[in-house]
Amino acid sequence: MIMKRLLEFAGLEPERFQARWISGSEGAKFAATVQEITEQIKKLGPNTKMRDTDE
Amino acid sequence: MSEKKAHQEITAKLRAECKRLLETGTVHTVIGFAPGSMPGRTVPVFITNPQEVAQLTWNPFCAANLSKYLLDHHQPGGKAAIVVKGCDSRGIVRLLQDNQVLRDEVHILGIPCRGQYDHRKIPGGLEVEETEPLEQGTADVAHPELHLEKCAYCENPTPVIYDLLLDDAVAPSTDSKGRFTEITDLEAKTAQEKSTYWDDHFSRCLRCYACRNACPACTCRECVFDQFDPDWVSKRNNLTENTAFHLIRAFHVAGRCVDCGECDRVCPVQIPLRLLNRKIIKDLDELFEAPTPGTDLNVKPALGDFTPQDPDEFH
Repeated sequence: MIMKRLLEFAGLEPERFQARWISGSEGAKFAATVQEITEQIKKLGPNTKMRDTDE
Repeated sequence: MSEKKAHQEITAKLRAECKRLLETGTVHTVIGFAPGSMPGRTVPVFITNPQEVAQLTWNPFCAANLSKYLLDHHQPGGKAAIVVKGCDSRGIVRLLQDNQVLRDEVHILGIPCRGQYDHRKIPGGLEVEETEPLEQGTADVAHPELHLEKCAYCENPTPVIYDLLLDDAVAPSTDSKGRFTEITDLEAKTAQEKSTYWDDHFSRCLRCYACRNACPACTCRECVFDQFDPDWVSKRNNLTENTAFHLIRAFHVAGRCVDCGECDRVCPVQIPLRLLNRKIIKDLDELFEAPTPGTDLNVKPALGDFTPQDPDEFH
């Protein structure tokens, strides 16, 4: 919770860092969550923040 | 009591007390403030000889938090005396809670504080002829507009922990409105605006680690940033790695940062580091109703404790 707020404060889009509780038996929830997050990220396009390092 | 009388009286009291502590062998070292090489500046001083207590001073230019020096002046079974303001005393609580220092190894000389001047604001705002009287305590006017930013709203003008208080306690600000204004202002901006704001600051970072060195919450013997080839952040000085460094630094002290503002004060390129730390303090206050860390020795750090009532956002 603190980490997510800190990243947003530093200028990262909220969609890029998300956390969920999903237990090992919740396969469907896991798939749905990943799908949902993927769609949100695709809409945003590639991340440009913290990507200028040449490694 | 007028402010000018107070400085001289406190300095005299401080010297007498430290002389007594050293002469009786109660403490092996006194960590305090001495006049610096320029008006309006002080330096830390470490006194072991009771004949040298005259070096000690107290004035509104004692901005540094000396608490971290306790780690360098550790003698098993011995005691060090340390001069602290209210905000510094939260740093002592930090070190005690983290078991970096034991309570009976430190003799805390608390001085209630009415605000410390920011020497960076002085050159443009005040002539040397005006600075000296402030320092000596002979000035007739105080200049709150030249105080450090953190002094504008002070939670603990009087130390929260001490063995001896050298002056009458000063009441804390009662008006907490606007306490987090600078944070809510930045929060309200777009991700792009926030990113640009921090990019401007982080791109100046020299990676000198002064912010870490001054911090009473940064006490790891082996710091991640000193490792030869750390995994999550490299030693390269570029915007990406600097951003990673600052986010990691802020997060490593999350829930333990006492908001003494030393990181901010010692930064040679004026990165507003306190803003990052205070963002976390604000969130901890909103999420866990956590007081500013270090305010109470008996309150565990919010992120170092669990209760079933803790909020959960990750359904």
